[in-house]
Amino acid sequence: MTPIYNYINRRTFLSNTGLSFGSAALLSQLVQAQEGVSTYPGLSGLPHHKPKIKRVVFLCMAGGPSHLETFDFKPQLNKLNGQPMPDSFTNGQPIAQLQGQKLKVQGHLTRFQKHGKSGQFISDYMPYHAKMADDISVIRSMVTEQINHDPAHTFMNTGTAISGRPSMGSWINYGLGSESSDLPGFVVLTSVGGRNPQPIASRQWGSGFLPSEFQGVEFNSSGDPVHYVSNPAGVDRNHQNALIRTIRRLDSQRNKLVDNPEIATRISAYEMAFRMQASVPELTDLSSESQKTLDMYGAKPGDGSFASNCLLARRLLEKGTRFVQLYHRGWDHHGDLDKYMKICCGLTDKPTFALLTDLKQRGLLEDTLVVWGGEFGRTPMFQGKGGAGRDHHIKGFSMWMAGGGIKPGLSHGETDELGYNAVKDVVHVRDFHATLLHLLGINHHRFSKKFQGLDMRLTGVEPAKVIKEILA
Amino acid sequence: MTHAMNYILLTLALPLQLTGSVDFNRDIRPILSDKCFHCHGPDEEKREAELRLDSFEGATEGGEFATPIAPGKPDESEVMIRILESDPDEIMPPPQSHKKITKKEIDLIRQWITEGAKYDEPWTYKNPIKHPAPSVKTELWPTNWVDQFILHRLETEHLPPSADADPVTLLRRLHFDLTGLPPTPKDAARFTSSFATNEQKAIKDEVDHLLASPAYGERLATYWLDLVRYADTVGYHGDQDHNISPYRDYVINAFNMNLPFDQFTREQLAGDLLPNPTEDQQVASGYNRLLQTTHEGGLQPAEYRAIYEADRVRNVSSVWMGATVGCAQCHDHKYDPYTAKDFHALGAFFADIDDESHFKSGTNSLPTRRPPEIRVFNRQQREKMNALNILLDELSKGKRTEISRLISDISKQKEQLPKENNPLKKKEILDSLKINEDTLASLMSENDLNKWKKVDFDLKKIDSEGRLTMVTVALKTPRIRKILPRGNWLDETGDVVQPAVPHFMPQIKKQSRQNRLDLANWLTDPNEGIGGLTARVIANRLFYLYFGTGLSRSLGDFGGQGVPPSNPELLDRLAVEFYESGWDLKHMIRLLVTSRAYRQSSLTPSSLQERDPYNELIARQSRYRLPAEMIRDNALAVSGLLVNKTGGPSIKPYQPAGYYRHLNFPPRKYRQDSSESIYRRSVYMHWQRQFLHPMLRAFDSPTREECMAKRPRSNTPVAAMTILPLSKPHGH
Repeated sequence: MTPIYNYINRRTFLSNTGLSFGSAALLSQLVQAQEGVSTYPGLSGLPHHKPKIKRVVFLCMAGGPSHLETFDFKPQLNKLNGQPMPDSFTNGQPIAQLQGQKLKVQGHLTRFQKHGKSGQFISDYMPYHAKMADDISVIRSMVTEQINHDPAHTFMNTGTAISGRPSMGSWINYGLGSESSDLPGFVVLTSVGGRNPQPIASRQWGSGFLPSEFQGVEFNSSGDPVHYVSNPAGVDRNHQNALIRTIRRLDSQRNKLVDNPEIATRISAYEMAFRMQASVPELTDLSSESQKTLDMYGAKPGDGSFASNCLLARRLLEKGTRFVQLYHRGWDHHGDLDKYMKICCGLTDKPTFALLTDLKQRGLLEDTLVVWGGEFGRTPMFQGKGGAGRDHHIKGFSMWMAGGGIKPGLSHGETDELGYNAVKDVVHVRDFHATLLHLLGINHHRFSKKFQGLDMRLTGVEPAKVIKEILA
Repeated sequence: MTHAMNYILLTLALPLQLTGSVDFNRDIRPILSDKCFHCHGPDEEKREAELRLDSFEGATEGGEFATPIAPGKPDESEVMIRILESDPDEIMPPPQSHKKITKKEIDLIRQWITEGAKYDEPWTYKNPIKHPAPSVKTELWPTNWVDQFILHRLETEHLPPSADADPVTLLRRLHFDLTGLPPTPKDAARFTSSFATNEQKAIKDEVDHLLASPAYGERLATYWLDLVRYADTVGYHGDQDHNISPYRDYVINAFNMNLPFDQFTREQLAGDLLPNPTEDQQVASGYNRLLQTTHEGGLQPAEYRAIYEADRVRNVSSVWMGATVGCAQCHDHKYDPYTAKDFHALGAFFADIDDESHFKSGTNSLPTRRPPEIRVFNRQQREKMNALNILLDELSKGKRTEISRLISDISKQKEQLPKENNPLKKKEILDSLKINEDTLASLMSENDLNKWKKVDFDLKKIDSEGRLTMVTVALKTPRIRKILPRGNWLDETGDVVQPAVPHFMPQIKKQSRQNRLDLANWLTDPNEGIGGLTARVIANRLFYLYFGTGLSRSLGDFGGQGVPPSNPELLDRLAVEFYESGWDLKHMIRLLVTSRAYRQSSLTPSSLQERDPYNELIARQSRYRLPAEMIRDNALAVSGLLVNKTGGPSIKPYQPAGYYRHLNFPPRKYRQDSSESIYRRSVYMHWQRQFLHPMLRAFDSPTREECMAKRPRSNTPVAAMTILPLSKPHGH
């Protein structure tokens, strides 16, 4: 059998790319692909340096969790609670829903305590995070450029707010290839709970101008785990196998006449589809997990919860999926912050701990990167849709990373005394992307793809830097 | 295999034309643009060492060096010395740019400097020339001048064209290319028989027949809708439905009526500014409303004003100018002469579009509110309404208003009666009702009255079937637009800009404020505007549609970073033909598909694949899988299910359950249509930007967030899975 990706990439190469350096080497590498099931090995020349990690799981807290109720403790904020927000912070600044309103300071809605040997401040909403204080490296000085959810997500995932660019999971799979022959390299899982869920567009896992085999595949929590993956009623696996063999015979016959590499690719694609028909349901079936494991996550098989998705994420990472993205869509807390923080943390705090612990116990954490964060943070100012809440905020917020290559228990960067502007060791979304690529062994300067005459990069054209301080 | 692959690598690295002297635009500009212009190009802000290499003056006098380029003397040229340098501090391009100049490129630059370092205006901005068709040796092969250009080129490359495809293959190709649908066995029998008698006549007749079929407009519209990013939803945040499907029908009809392309352009960009615009022209102006929009809570109007402006500039420049002016939003273009001021001045043409009320009034409903809109009716509806109105007038013998009022009053009173408990009031109503009924009876017989009621009911029904569609309405006072420094919408220090076309192009001569109509005219005027460029852009895309590859492969970028045309004389000639024919699309398409080159077999011997992997020489036809829409339409057609009906609201065929579950504001449930419309053509499918139908997506249909001139053609397991479960075909 001809290796599937051999043809796919030869074809893609011929039809889509201009001549960019690396392509030539890519071809020669493909030529060496062995007979039998083979996986796309990634671009030649990559990784650029020795990678610290092989895979990434991004826990995306969609809606923008409040850094002021999770990781960023500001005593001054409590002191000024209820007083007018000083103009010096907000003049000339972009403001979302609070436009034209009187701005007043909103103190923390919960207590912060130091935890672990590292003494990281973590809020009481997140008791399980408190236990991870010495495992995670918290960046308290994130900034982004987009203040509305949709473009902010697009910015976080693709490095630009312009629609139609590749998502980081696509970039990574394009660069490094897949380690699985029967599962996609980029999988997305979603869950809800909290305030009215954030809409999430499929462009968030789109492959943009990269070949579409690198686009994220969403696993559904109900019905077919992947669209069209199950056999229709009345067709069993033997039937399907017979069908695919017949297609293969017909296609091979045709190919003898026309000698078209696309046909060989299609034959292989059918066979990969056939393998996925078995591997995907097997993967999403949690019955082989012990009760102890299920309890640790708080997962009930088939409930579509963040807990179950964390467990699925571990199973995917184990089987070689390169990039797993979990969305929890309930963090847009314009009002009733206290109530919704309890709900969102209640649904995500423990499973996150379980995932980290499970990865650690299985020896996977050392070459896996776990990322936690939303598309932006929330204002130090009060917003009152219902009980006290906070508006969107882009000038300072928190994210954390843990796992391979990351210094554990670190606190990096600072916001000002009210948690408004990131002021020390500011980390832009681009820097986060550069760091992510660096850990995977990729130099972000040298990782580009020609599109519309430009060398497009995940990190864009503005300067981006690897956050060296958080690297182990 | 390895040997073959290596051979591809070698041939890919070589330009196809290496005969004779160096041509600046073909051989040198792409190298300079890619490796040097980033720091030594048009962008003043980022220019290093005050040196610019994008003009002869700059390269021979400018900057900190005495002789950056010494014409005729490569060894005395600083550029040459620095390219050949081995010291990492001195070598150009510098190591941190991660750009390298190949040996071949160095040789080309050396040859170019030796030959005098002649610069040339970018091919894109030169007016196309009506080159005479070149003579060829194999005189019998060409059927028209397109073939002469192609064959001439093949003969200089010592390559023969491929054999003709067999008639059935040709028929199938014509049908899919022109209508997006397969021929029937009957078609094949008819065609092969007439083909046996007279090949050229059979082809010509078939082409005429297909161009006259309504399916032609549907097929071409699919491509146009990709360019202008037509979709049924707003795109951002809640991705609610918006009213726009009549615009899609306008495009299909315009193609079927063969509306001249310049008029097609005017109607879309400025239909509302035409004198006494027709309903169609107003619908066409919906083009300006196709962009993604939002009413997400907390949006800042000034920010989205800038986002919408940029979106419109990106689209108009991609669709008509083949340019990436969007790059100049924050800074002068790195590779092309567009400045940031050009970007904002182009944006200012759209500053009169009255479309901002939805920032506040947009609703989380289906459809959402996106005023201004108009209600439109199709021709059948209009004809029917006309007929019914005449009937009503006849029945009411000149008293239509009165009868209408009486009927409405009577029905209201009859409704009130049972609800009224006060005996006094009840009597009042009864009395009045009696009077009304008597008056009505005196005006009309009972028989007529029953007829009247039925006709009136039918009329109201049609009226409710009219469709709303977004249109362009111009503000009396356009919004003031300023240059946004670094694209930053919070920075109001920039100069005010008036609508203007890019500074280095022919200017619009008008004293008063230039508007969208001036822009549309300029885009399609080959003498006073850039009609030559527009014609080239569109001709190139037509060539792509029928040959699988553009004469310039970069369909969306005719700038310095684009790929120069493989056959510039042919592209020029096609462009001139396009505007000289009166922008006649059907004429152009006929020209291309009745050529001998079009008829070639797509079977590709590996030697040819290796020699010309991109099919730039057209020594064969291209082969590629069908686009998503044709895969579905073909399945419907061959299974006899296809329902051919033109126009109307978007259709919702089968879609996997739960696919819209991530949509919110409001939560979405996909309701599959129950009628025959699920068997209609894919051009009518509901286009949900955030969650495009998974079948369309699996086969590379774009989400239509941005202009797409060339879809990728992937071949993936997800696509295989999509067509594998045979009992769930799309459309069931």
